[in-house]
Amino acid sequence: MYALVDAVSYYASAEKVFDPSIRNKPVVVLTNNDGCICAVDPIARKLGIPKFIPYFQIKDFLAKHNVVVRSSNYELYADLSERMMNVIGRFCDNQYVYSIDESFLHFKNFNSLIKDWHQYGHLIRKAVWRETRLPVGVGFGATLTLAKAANHAAKKLAGYNGVAVINDDRSRKEILEKMSLTDVWGIGSKLGKRLNILGIKTAWELANQSPKAIRSQFSVVVERTVNELNGIACLNWDEVRQDKKEIFSTRSFGQRVVDYNALKAAITSHGCIVARKVRKQRSLIKRLLVFASSSPHDDNYYKKSFIYEFPVATDNTLKIAAGISFVFDEIFLNGVNFYRCGVGAIELENCQFQQQDMFNNSVNNPELMQCYDHINKRYGNGVIEVTAAGQREKWEMRRNFLSPGYTSRWRDIPKITC
Amino acid sequence: MKFVPILIEAGISGFESPAAEYKELGLSLDQLLISNPDATFFGLAQGESMIEAGIFDGDLLLVDRSEDAKDGDVIVANYNGCFTCKYIDKKYARLLSASPKYQPVKISPEDEFQLEGVVTCSFRLHRKLKELLACMH
Repeated sequence: MYALVDAVSYYASAEKVFDPSIRNKPVVVLTNNDGCICAVDPIARKLGIPKFIPYFQIKDFLAKHNVVVRSSNYELYADLSERMMNVIGRFCDNQYVYSIDESFLHFKNFNSLIKDWHQYGHLIRKAVWRETRLPVGVGFGATLTLAKAANHAAKKLAGYNGVAVINDDRSRKEILEKMSLTDVWGIGSKLGKRLNILGIKTAWELANQSPKAIRSQFSVVVERTVNELNGIACLNWDEVRQDKKEIFSTRSFGQRVVDYNALKAAITSHGCIVARKVRKQRSLIKRLLVFASSSPHDDNYYKKSFIYEFPVATDNTLKIAAGISFVFDEIFLNGVNFYRCGVGAIELENCQFQQQDMFNNSVNNPELMQCYDHINKRYGNGVIEVTAAGQREKWEMRRNFLSPGYTSRWRDIPKITC
Repeated sequence: MKFVPILIEAGISGFESPAAEYKELGLSLDQLLISNPDATFFGLAQGESMIEAGIFDGDLLLVDRSEDAKDGDVIVANYNGCFTCKYIDKKYARLLSASPKYQPVKISPEDEFQLEGVVTCSFRLHRKLKELLACMH
């Protein structure tokens, strides 16, 4: 049996943990630079506030309904996430933390110990709420995909109250019939539309397709999903952790940037982040996308992007910084108020199967990069940095509605009235 | 609550101190006082209703959410949107101050009330700490 435990609108719920004055109020959390709404708590959801809408478009509506607005407080979310994961981990000896607020559990040989999964789910929920004040949903299923489906039911479908169990055909049918295709793990909107054309509308209808036919029409990945929905386990931790095929680092600026060096520093800095992530998954970059733009809401919208191709795929921060430097003059334009920039590794190669080039000796310097990563890991990111990325202040994040660092800074600890 | 000691060593090399490998030893207040770190948080006491219980204005409180609150424990509750530190009187559903100057507070169904945790210990800082002075306002 697998379980997926995750928090209900995590960022918004995390804001309520140390601020009792907003526990019963609608709360939304904004993305980097207070750009869009990225979390809507259940009370705010009842007001019909959608996710991912730009903040400025809905600002007046929020004020009118006394909705509490917060900037993303990553320090707080990281600390609470660790606490939450530790509490969840007490309930199973095999835990896999999938994201900041999602954790899978794999129960092997627990069947004789746990008679009632429903009750066990409520035990988990109660413990997490009691010890961290975070609300979680718990879904059980024979495969990861079914656990994810049960988790969806636990949180979104009426009558489940935070826990759902798929452990027989009846409960499986009941839940899958009420789920649309795109709520199934691994079925995106494009794939969902193609399946819709074939008359497949619900998760239950997808589960009843012939896996072989699905494989020939779509892919082995969708075939696996069909099997998983029928209780045949095809995925495990390592597969869901699959290497990313593209790695991006991008962000909008706190204040518009017009200065040549400031923009170059920001882009180079994104390049360094991408390089670090690429090294972490042991890939090499073949093609790098470099881009910058003004705001689409500004007059004379300006956007420019360039692709730099490395002669030999690399994970070397210095080579990547040099590549960015090479295309930067093509991107920068005097007088533009730059609002956003970023870097994306759009073609990656595997470190182990690198194609060697007869005319190019390998320019990568794994020892140097290993040392670079070690120093930054030990003493904090940015302790050593390529000089081109050095200028930081101008483009730091805007977080106008930031809550205090209740658990990470002494001067921010919560006050308790006596 | 988390403190990771990292010694930044200058480039003067010699023999490593023979004590280096024992640096994990020593006494840790966290280890002594915090039995469930995931459920524990720090707070700052403000007000004078608990002085007779030994909790003064500006004291540091350690609050454990995993502890069961027994009758008469010093607890922290969310009382109408505010963290409040009192004695809990479970029998009559009341919050009691230690000081006789403050009346007991009866918790009624209209009140917003959640028990947040048990105050397992409090610290008085006989010398002011710079880090905490900033949050006393």
